Amino acid sequence: MSNEIWVLIEKARHADNIAAISRELLGKGRELADTNGGTLAALVLGSNVGGLAERAFAYGADKAYVVDDAALAQYTTDGFVGAAAALAKQYAPALILTGSTFQMRDFSAALAADLGAGLAIDATNITIDGDQISAKRPSHGGNVINTLVFESARPAVVAARKQVFLEAPEQAGRSGELVQAAMPGVEIRTKVTNVAAKQGAVNLADAAIIVSGGRGLGSPENYFKLIPPLAEALGGAYGASRAIVDAGWIPYEHQVGQTGKTVSPKLYMAVGISGAIQHLAGMRTSRTIVAINKDPDAPIFRVASYGVVGDASEIVPLLTEEIKLRANR
Amino acid sequence: MTLSDEYTVEEALRWNEKLGGKVTILSLGPETWKEQIRRALAMGATDALLLSDPAFADLDVLGAARAVAAAIAKLGDVDLVIGGRNSTDDESGAFGPALARALGWPQLTYVGKIAELDEGGKRIVAERHLEEQIETVESRLPAVVTVVKDINEPRYPSLLRIKRVAKIDIPVWGAAELGLSAEAPSAGITARVPPPPRAKGEIIQGADAAEKVRTLVDKLVESQVI
Repeated sequence: MSNEIWVLIEKARHADNIAAISRELLGKGRELADTNGGTLAALVLGSNVGGLAERAFAYGADKAYVVDDAALAQYTTDGFVGAAAALAKQYAPALILTGSTFQMRDFSAALAADLGAGLAIDATNITIDGDQISAKRPSHGGNVINTLVFESARPAVVAARKQVFLEAPEQAGRSGELVQAAMPGVEIRTKVTNVAAKQGAVNLADAAIIVSGGRGLGSPENYFKLIPPLAEALGGAYGASRAIVDAGWIPYEHQVGQTGKTVSPKLYMAVGISGAIQHLAGMRTSRTIVAINKDPDAPIFRVASYGVVGDASEIVPLLTEEIKLRANR
Repeated sequence: MTLSDEYTVEEALRWNEKLGGKVTILSLGPETWKEQIRRALAMGATDALLLSDPAFADLDVLGAARAVAAAIAKLGDVDLVIGGRNSTDDESGAFGPALARALGWPQLTYVGKIAELDEGGKRIVAERHLEEQIETVESRLPAVVTVVKDINEPRYPSLLRIKRVAKIDIPVWGAAELGLSAEAPSAGITARVPPPPRAKGEIIQGADAAEKVRTLVDKLVESQVI
């Protein structure tokens, strides 16, 4: 058993860099490696992924394992898990970190099953204390925080929630040890025949700022008049409560909550949302929460960092203007 | 049954109506779950099996997947296993992948549409509904599929069917029938606690909306939130 911590590297979708979640995991991984005398390694799987290992070095990795093969051009469970499992069996890392998108959940669960490893999905914290690795993860709609302790199961495979760890700082010119590995002989039984952008897709999980609206806005016209412009002024995305998704104001893609998306942005603004348990489950770990609601007893105020009691139709346009004004100052 | 189970059962029934064969409801849990299984039978499933044993109580998701895989292997002649994308308690979405790997079958997770299912040609084509994209994936059968909300509109069981299945005897298999020995979970859970309360917030005061808005923005700027 080595004392290596591995981070599965994802490529940023719209930039020539590693994804934000990878920078966050390298930040957390660096901290864990430094306090426990371990090595931080990047796991780079894909086709034509030259450059990603160097980016990972710049963000703190000491080492990179790279499998660059045409068979990994698209994510498939067999291809990615096969490549990762072969490397993990050879180099025996203590901990493997991934993000927790649907694709990464598919990957991390299958990898843990193949390796007979420990597994924590949607983790919000990871600690190493001597030989003991533990992870915290919410369940039951965020109402229970479980502490999982991996006594002997190695590696521990931990899929972490986005935006809970600070990104590693970039250190230009930093380098590391590159380990190129061949694609193992695994059979890839599924074939991706088409990839299409989802109509009206909103990546709420990636957004640093989210403005959500609810039934308190009164009508879909009011929602669209108030919420998207405020989100745009803040450079954020816009979300919705289940009530208005069910009422057909806005597509399901925008729904935040237990049956929608779970988000953890730097700033979450809830406008005209009363704060049903099922909504709170999807946003209560946001760093700062602002609630705007005319009912001073709305449960949303109990989780809000800042609350404004009043009419959204009056407050939101003023807020949008004020934010634009300060941004130009 | 959870809503996710209803989508799962409905999807199985629709393909069963087209292709024939059997739809077996398989669940791992306490004996009390027979009532939920009966609801699925009332929707139209043809067979049912409950895996229940005190030894299963401590199974983690990987252990549960191995137990269910053992049952599926023992049942034999299964072309497709359909499940929900995740449970409403554990919420990890790990069960489907863990089951597929335990069976040695391919997996198609987060499926929002099964486009083709050809049990003769042993082939499935499905759409995986990911956060920002829809992937069309082809796979051989047998396979494990997990489905997302809104893949279909689940039917209500008729009163007639509810009555008809009320007395059906649902078989139960334990660890002995599956040839499993008790195994320790790979992770011990040392704490299950409610989330820490958030730091007490502040209600922004002000003479009018404009003053409240200015104060709010001041505070967000001061605390470097924006």
